[in-house]
Amino acid sequence: MGQRVAIVDYGLANLQSVNNAIECFTPDSYIAECGEALAGADKIVLPGVGHFDEGMRGLRDRGHEAALGRLVLERGIPLLGICLGFQFLFSGSEEGSQRGLGWLPDRIVRIPHGEGNKVPHMGWSEVQLRQPSRLLAGIELPVEFYFVHSYCAPDAGEAAKCASALCDYGIPFVAALERDNIFATQFHPEKSQLAGMKLLETFLAL
Amino acid sequence: MPKHRLIATLLVDSGRVVQTRHFKRTNMVGSAFTAVDFFNSWTVDEIIVLEISNDTSHLSRMQEIVAELSRRCFVPLSVGGKIRDLELARRYLRLGADKIVLNTGAVEWPELISEIAFFFGRQCVIVSIDAKPDEGMPSGYRVMIDNARRETDLDVLDWAHRAVDLGAGELMINATSHDGSKQGYDLALTNKVSTSVPVPVIAMGGVGKLSDFVDGIKRGGADAVAAGNILHYFEHSTKKAKEAMAAAGVPVRHIGFYKVAMPRRPKYRPF
Repeated sequence: MGQRVAIVDYGLANLQSVNNAIECFTPDSYIAECGEALAGADKIVLPGVGHFDEGMRGLRDRGHEAALGRLVLERGIPLLGICLGFQFLFSGSEEGSQRGLGWLPDRIVRIPHGEGNKVPHMGWSEVQLRQPSRLLAGIELPVEFYFVHSYCAPDAGEAAKCASALCDYGIPFVAALERDNIFATQFHPEKSQLAGMKLLETFLAL
Repeated sequence: MPKHRLIATLLVDSGRVVQTRHFKRTNMVGSAFTAVDFFNSWTVDEIIVLEISNDTSHLSRMQEIVAELSRRCFVPLSVGGKIRDLELARRYLRLGADKIVLNTGAVEWPELISEIAFFFGRQCVIVSIDAKPDEGMPSGYRVMIDNARRETDLDVLDWAHRAVDLGAGELMINATSHDGSKQGYDLALTNKVSTSVPVPVIAMGGVGKLSDFVDGIKRGGADAVAAGNILHYFEHSTKKAKEAMAAAGVPVRHIGFYKVAMPRRPKYRPF
């Protein structure tokens, strides 16, 4: 492939796992510590574990927010958001008060706590295909992916329209979405064994 | 609901994977990397690596091992053994670990559970409890530390509750009398703990046949089943274990096979 893959560093996420997975496919992946470093990337991965507000602050303070808008929205560079990186695409989250990137108008909500569903939702859960997807093209669904999260995007509004796959945990929520050159998964492909690696391979080949 | 997990446990003594029987090390199984490559290419859902050397002189090497393991481990990776402070936990996480396993460190410094949970989230903390049958304790089991060599005053159920209150996201329960015995998990113990705490319980220690995994979940009430020894010794062991669980009606992750070209995936190289 030989393409340049930027992994967005906003100061909190553990980037090692994502980088390890991407490195299996391309020799030219790198950690982008600030927005300027994203220039020249053929693909951008926005990973994430951590708190919504701190993450968004990191994205803003490091100039990523502006750079992502230019590169992804205007220039059409493919982006893959993972977990918190999925949630950043929304207008905001119940986890905090910071505004998200706002590329999708909906809001992220807390997973309802109930009998039999503990929060965080952690583990391998089955994901169902909602509509034909470029990102999931090589994978036979339903299949399990690895999740770790306490907040989610409900299957409603604009999120429902671009949802490519759903999962159910107390409520049905969006497990994967795509719109034009924007792709995102609530689960962790880098921790989802072969199915996850297939997804990453597909993204890098887009 | 998340699927029940099959977890492979690697015990690392001075950089080598070993098996144990009643907490005494026996024969060498081989390099941690080949073991992880095996589990990875098959169907294990999670890998737990524990450092069990007799002293702390191998901890820097363990960090190199964790960094290398995380480069080839594409399932969740948990790391434990001699973690006594936040700094070592942070280092393992930065090297690519997903969760931290505490045992003796949690008993001696309970606030360590809370610290890790505070900084990295509860999902990041597994408290591992070595339980020894003891009729003098209210639950019938006493908490052991230091590779089960040292007794504590703690009752297993009391400690389990306290660990969860402090921030443990999961508990791993190992019966010292079953460790390496091939007689199956201590189902009474597993059941006692899993029915009384609100977090997932991992059953550990004693698997000798594939049906033991099924019993751990169906009769022991565990969310996940872990084994070390049995998984090292026969081909496609994790696949067969998964098949046995599925055949017994335990919901497990599908064994999907995808052809993925990973031209740059690290190959085994001896340390």
